[in-house]
Amino acid sequence: MNMGSGPNRVLIGEGVWFTSILDPKFKSNRISLNLSAPLKEETAADMAALSLLLRKSCQMYPNMTLLSSRLAELYGAYLDGEVRKHGPREILNLTVQGIDDRFALEGEKMIQECAELLCQALFAPNLDSNGLFDPSDLRVERQYLVDTIDSLINDKRAYAIDRCVKSMCQGEPAAISRYGTRERALAVTPESAAAMYRRLLQTAKAEILFIGCGDPSGAMETFRQAFQKLRRTPEEVPEDAVKLAAGEVRNVTETMEVAQGKLVMGFRVGDVSQRKRYNALRMMLSVFGGSPFSRLFVYVREKLSLCYYCTSRYDRPTGLMMVDSGVEFEKKEAAQEEILNQLEVMRRGEFTDEEFSAARLSMVNAFQTTGDSLGSLEGYYFNQILSGWNKTPEEDIADLLEVTREEIIEAARQVSLDTVYFLQGFAQEEDGKGGEQNA
Amino acid sequence: MPETSAKTTVETISSSLLEERYYKVRHKSGVTMLLCPMEGFSTAYALFGTNYGSMDVTFKTPGDPDYVEVPAGIAHYLEHKLFENEDGDAFQRFAATGASANAYTSFDKTCYLFSCTQNFEASLEILLDFVTRPYFTDETVQKEQGIIGQEIRMYDDNPDWQVYFNLLKAMYQKNPIRIDIAGTVESIAEIDKDLLYRCYNHFYNLHNMVIAIAGNFTVESVIETADRVLKESEPFLTQRRQPEEPEEVGQRKIEAELEVATPIFQMGFKLKGGNTAENMRSQILDEILVEIIAGETSPIYRELYDQGLINATFSGEAMAVRSLLAVTFGGESREPERVYEAILERIRQLKQNGIDETLFQQCKKVTYGRYIGMFSRPEAVASTLLLSHFTGVELYSLVQDLGKVTKEQLEERLRSQYREEWSSLSIVRSHREA
Repeated sequence: MNMGSGPNRVLIGEGVWFTSILDPKFKSNRISLNLSAPLKEETAADMAALSLLLRKSCQMYPNMTLLSSRLAELYGAYLDGEVRKHGPREILNLTVQGIDDRFALEGEKMIQECAELLCQALFAPNLDSNGLFDPSDLRVERQYLVDTIDSLINDKRAYAIDRCVKSMCQGEPAAISRYGTRERALAVTPESAAAMYRRLLQTAKAEILFIGCGDPSGAMETFRQAFQKLRRTPEEVPEDAVKLAAGEVRNVTETMEVAQGKLVMGFRVGDVSQRKRYNALRMMLSVFGGSPFSRLFVYVREKLSLCYYCTSRYDRPTGLMMVDSGVEFEKKEAAQEEILNQLEVMRRGEFTDEEFSAARLSMVNAFQTTGDSLGSLEGYYFNQILSGWNKTPEEDIADLLEVTREEIIEAARQVSLDTVYFLQGFAQEEDGKGGEQNA
Repeated sequence: MPETSAKTTVETISSSLLEERYYKVRHKSGVTMLLCPMEGFSTAYALFGTNYGSMDVTFKTPGDPDYVEVPAGIAHYLEHKLFENEDGDAFQRFAATGASANAYTSFDKTCYLFSCTQNFEASLEILLDFVTRPYFTDETVQKEQGIIGQEIRMYDDNPDWQVYFNLLKAMYQKNPIRIDIAGTVESIAEIDKDLLYRCYNHFYNLHNMVIAIAGNFTVESVIETADRVLKESEPFLTQRRQPEEPEEVGQRKIEAELEVATPIFQMGFKLKGGNTAENMRSQILDEILVEIIAGETSPIYRELYDQGLINATFSGEAMAVRSLLAVTFGGESREPERVYEAILERIRQLKQNGIDETLFQQCKKVTYGRYIGMFSRPEAVASTLLLSHFTGVELYSLVQDLGKVTKEQLEERLRSQYREEWSSLSIVRSHREA
């Protein structure tokens, strides 16, 4: 019963595409502007700082109170800026989202106002007469960037996954943080941020996505005119480059003041550049570790009571498959053994027809849900654009339903363990008393 | 909509402002159902909730000589165990329909849910069935201790969770909101199958429960499924013991050490709560006040931000839980005490000089926009419908009332309720700094 229309993609400038995805059921509109550049350790921090500066103010609203007031006038529309990582690419994203024109109590033209605000943020940032960002603004945002890099440690699960990826992918883009390193972040200057700004406007490919219920034509025209004023020489962004198989298994253990151990296992998945193999891998992961009926949940959590969570995830642009679990310190070996055992079960094809069918239904459910939120539609279609596949969720579902049991088994056979990371507590380091309170 | 049986009634509730409507079904079994079919959506999001949460540790039935006190964390333990029936695990049953299922326990409620784009009726049948058919054995209850023990350990390492719960412990002296939702490794060791059945029989009474569904489904299919699965419940008579909570906070300051990069803090104002419905309406006023006091549009936000005392993690929230009402502000800060002082000073200023008219209008608009945005998300609609039932406040009237809020009303509220001596500050620092 999806009444929405498929994406409409139009070239509106030199390396600038405008894609609209419309559905009358929504009450809001979202415009997402994305500039892609190669992900590099030398430039990631500048790009991250730039995203923070652009969302903070612009010439028309030169401080955050004025900009926030403007957003408040637009019924709490939100404007956000961030950097995202997509394999070897780093993407500077600016997004604005606001309620549709028809709910504006005083007849405000919400879409147009939001589109213009986004243009102000990107094309008329708060630069001084020398073309530089304000030093005190920069100082505050740089500190926030450093704090963001440091605060990864607050979330032990995310921290452990990050540590595993970094030890696993030395020299690969996957090991580079989207925020850059702490040292690089501290070295960002008004000059380096402004240089990054100019370079992006000149060379980055731009993808603008409009998702919502309103008429996108005015917004498209606004962006077309704004980009036309620039002289642009867009550059190609690098293709995904992934390592296909693991060498010898690497074991990494770190110690910290924690109550629970974090086990992360990083795998390589073989060559899935062909759609068919990629689909088989996704289906394999659904049976193996994607849901509460998957084998990792059923066996590692429910049958053996080893943990609260144990899941697998896969990131296509980097080709990484990660399994992670929060376990008692002294149960790490047992959990690891069972995770590998379940992978063996997949390789031997010993999963049941019920499990296979559950994975299919779950995939259908997941992709059909995509169309119900602005954010997931944005994510889905942006990924389609970057991967060059240009599928719709319906086509994705049709492809996935063609995957056979044999293809799943083959996909599991291509998976190889690369790195095992474990975050343990000090108690474990001393004498393993970490789990004493557990019955 | 026709009535489907003698005792089941259906009422339509609509809002022209929002271009929305939903149906309130009083089902013959005793359960209330709030149903909002949403045109154009693929997903249906269904919640089955009971008005029973971690706070409900002391209760009795009329006729019982005295209150019984049960171990901390039992509502949450019950939530985990309800997924298991003699014929297997509810997750496995949902696997056969493709629905994505989950559950959560909060201070005052326990909810079971699924979202699906296909096989709605079959999924709903599973939901209604497993929640109304408990099956606990010594063995299955014992098995869960390892899993929940690890869930508790996970939260032990979570500084955002710790700083928030410490704040509640500092603010509330008697109210069981102080208790950890999942309990402790020690308290859950006391839980056995008899205790679980006892709590279940008290609180999983259909008169104490609600079904809220939004998205892609039909009202008829829900009533038919309920007719088939739900049996009529006895009247709900359980009484909860509510300890008398003093107006004063227990502690003005509480600190803990955990591995964090920058100190994180939460500060809270303990407000004078009324009954549940009054609190739900007050919460909206407090949401606007949070914006006015220290939202991104407020002058203080920028001052603190530019001084590097707060960063983008800073936010405020209004909280209403049954008879309790509070407002909190928190985030990362190198000097949480200075942020706390600055917010107290900001409130003093607002009390003295009144609220700026432009800021008031802007903050009202922000709150209105937030509610409009919510109505395009099935999960948000279903969750808010459920909340509106438990608090006894009709959902659309909440949004309508928003337009009527006056500046004077907020100023009065600020003067009478936001008191320095009723505030607490909770901080989590790294052991390296503390």
